[in-house]
Amino acid sequence: MALHRAGERALSCTRKRHRPLGLSGSFIQGVMARVDGVPNVRLDQCQARPGMVAERQNSWPSPRADLLKLFRLVPARWVRGGFEHTRLFPSGTRRFLWWERLLAFLAGEGRLDPAPPPSAIQPGRHHACDLLVVGGGPAGIAAANHAAKTGRTVVLATRGERLARGATAMGEIVTPIDPSVTVLTSHEVGALYRGGTLAVAAPHDDGPATVIACAQLTLATGKRSLPPLVPGNALPGVMDATTALALAARGSKALGPTLVVGTDARDRVATRLRAQGVDLVDCRPVAELKAVRGSKGVTGADCNGERIACASIVHAGPWRTDPNLAFQAGSAGELRLAAGEPAAQVTLAGFAAAPDEAVHWSGIADEATDICPCMDVTAAEIADLVRGGITHVEELKRQSACGMGPCQGFPCWELMNAVRAGVGGPHLAADRPSHRGPRRALTVAQAAGLSDVVEPLR
Amino acid sequence: MSGIVIIGGGIQGLSIAFNLARLGAGNIRVLDAGYFQGGASGRNGTLIRGGFGSPEWTSLFAHSNRLWADLSATLGENVMFTPRGYLIIAQSPAMMARLEGMVSLHRAHGLDAVLLTPAEVKALEPAIAAAGILGAIHLRDGGVAPHHAAMKAYLAASRRLGVTVEYGRPVTAIEQVGGLICAVMTGDERIACETLVIAAGAYSVDVGALAGIEVPGFPMRIEAMALEPVRPILRSAIALPDRLCYLHQTARGEIVGGAEVAERPQVTLRSDIAALAATARAYAEVFPCLASLRILRQWAGMLHATQDWGPLIGRHPDLANLWLSAGWSYGFAGAPAAGDLLARAILRDDLDARLKPFAVDRFRRGAPVREGSIVLAPVE
Repeated sequence: MALHRAGERALSCTRKRHRPLGLSGSFIQGVMARVDGVPNVRLDQCQARPGMVAERQNSWPSPRADLLKLFRLVPARWVRGGFEHTRLFPSGTRRFLWWERLLAFLAGEGRLDPAPPPSAIQPGRHHACDLLVVGGGPAGIAAANHAAKTGRTVVLATRGERLARGATAMGEIVTPIDPSVTVLTSHEVGALYRGGTLAVAAPHDDGPATVIACAQLTLATGKRSLPPLVPGNALPGVMDATTALALAARGSKALGPTLVVGTDARDRVATRLRAQGVDLVDCRPVAELKAVRGSKGVTGADCNGERIACASIVHAGPWRTDPNLAFQAGSAGELRLAAGEPAAQVTLAGFAAAPDEAVHWSGIADEATDICPCMDVTAAEIADLVRGGITHVEELKRQSACGMGPCQGFPCWELMNAVRAGVGGPHLAADRPSHRGPRRALTVAQAAGLSDVVEPLR
Repeated sequence: MSGIVIIGGGIQGLSIAFNLARLGAGNIRVLDAGYFQGGASGRNGTLIRGGFGSPEWTSLFAHSNRLWADLSATLGENVMFTPRGYLIIAQSPAMMARLEGMVSLHRAHGLDAVLLTPAEVKALEPAIAAAGILGAIHLRDGGVAPHHAAMKAYLAASRRLGVTVEYGRPVTAIEQVGGLICAVMTGDERIACETLVIAAGAYSVDVGALAGIEVPGFPMRIEAMALEPVRPILRSAIALPDRLCYLHQTARGEIVGGAEVAERPQVTLRSDIAALAATARAYAEVFPCLASLRILRQWAGMLHATQDWGPLIGRHPDLANLWLSAGWSYGFAGAPAAGDLLARAILRDDLDARLKPFAVDRFRRGAPVREGSIVLAPVE
């Protein structure tokens, strides 16, 4: 946040083509850096402090003189999924060994110190409760308070550093939490096990992870706005409403001239941004946005043939629920792990329980429209795969590596599915690859601390 | 004209199909109930080694390791097999003694195996914590191959030779007449066949039941996980038999591996927290630099466990035209050899000596294969 405010919009880059990525609220790759020698730290989850060294990673020979930027000249078509097993460098030859070395060097993002100072494994913690609430917004607080009033033991885990960040940023009045509720702030719940009766939460720093055994689970994780499916949608300066509101709350100048696009609720976001002093140039339905202009960052937008100059594009819709945790709680299968009916003790609450909004796609399969920018997967690649007969979501995932990066499938599989249904026809119902935990929620050290906390199934 | 039906489009089924077609067999159909790369062939650790603790395993897998080295040329596709070396590391005196006994066996089978001191292990893998390491076997021609490359190569090569491979086609019935299989049913379609091969991974027991035979063993899950990508930090494919743990770093920078926990066998693709914690613990203790890395994802795959963890390869003793390549726990590594030798056995009635110890009826005869260097938890 501090870097973005200081004018550093391109904090990171995509894996294959090294295109610039920034603080988007959607694509985690854009906020990963090497902080104090530790690779792959999320800049949006660490507090800036004096003396902290944040280095751009995935650069060579140095972040300042980064020759890897030359990969931007490589056509997207050349590095589509599967490019690495090209017949030009078959295994069994000497040139394959060089090719593989090059691939491994380029794919590895951050540099790890092979001999770090010794760090003790932190013993994990264990909580047992009647109800676990994931999400610290108004719906999560209400669910926790309701259960606490009936005498049940409640744990509430939120990734926010305090409760109701989003609602506060929107200027809403927030109900205080019942003092009997155990609140875990800055904790990510990344994995659910055994039908949603065991959850693993870990703090964003290197504190101990917690296993929460719960009789009931309420997912009040809200919805997130999905980036528009247009060319330039991953440029630094395109961000979701949540991120824009958080930036604006820390100083209205960081956003510059701002265009808001979105679905029905976009006017509320625009009004709030304006109230915080943001220079709002326009507010449009997302379907009117045809392209984002710029090379290193946003410089404008094409809306229905009209060119709008702006430095930030804030999307407020379509809003969709991240399905990962509900999938983990309900999924089952032997041949394939597929979404099942969540067990009776798992409920969605608040905005998360509302129907998802459809993702708008123009039908133009462009190489500049990103589906999964962290892995350089474009709309053109997905569309060509579907046209070539690969329509199974699991095969699309394996073929393109879409969703194999730091977000592990949200929002990119929502975008992938919009293109899949758009090309292949409406018969391709909303289906998705298996969502897996713990998707970066805990480190090896934190997970290691859990080995004495839970018994294997015997 | 009826031909050969193979049930299972994983790496075993595809390797058999490719080798049959290469030897001139026509009319080969591969039927798979799931999706391409959906089974254990797309979920395993992708480690490949030729040397094990027993002569039976070593002779089969040494052959496979050699086939892997040339597999890209054989298939005309890039399988990305990378002979980075395979380290079997001892952390207990008992394991060290076992490894010391294995080196000569490995060399006798033509493998480039050497015994390393702890200092040599540290020199090869600077990320390792030397404390507690007693030594290792270094199989210099072992390595890894990513399954996405290997599976696509087998599928493309098989199809190029005219094999029909279909996914989403579960077999619902198997017909027999006079002690021979004559057809399989998939949906409404009846497919007549002269030869049937079951290579259905964890589901081989169920498929065998359709043919009215009892395939020994049972399905169970095995789990693995991937850490976020970093610049190259691990060179070799690594097994830690004392920790029931294995890992390697992929060409995508991720560190992929797993540790087994003793659990009641689970028939599900769900993963569990116990395996996550055990894997992380082994990593953090043996490779301290990995402790700060985040875990991207964890998954489970199903395998077909047998009493001795060895595969069941060969003709079924009761049905003369039914063949099996099942019961695999190191099936990814073993697939090139199994496909090569089984195809020859089927077409030329020439059962290679390397397959004989893994006969389907060996438990019935009281002749299991004893193998002491595999990374799998004991089950009751």
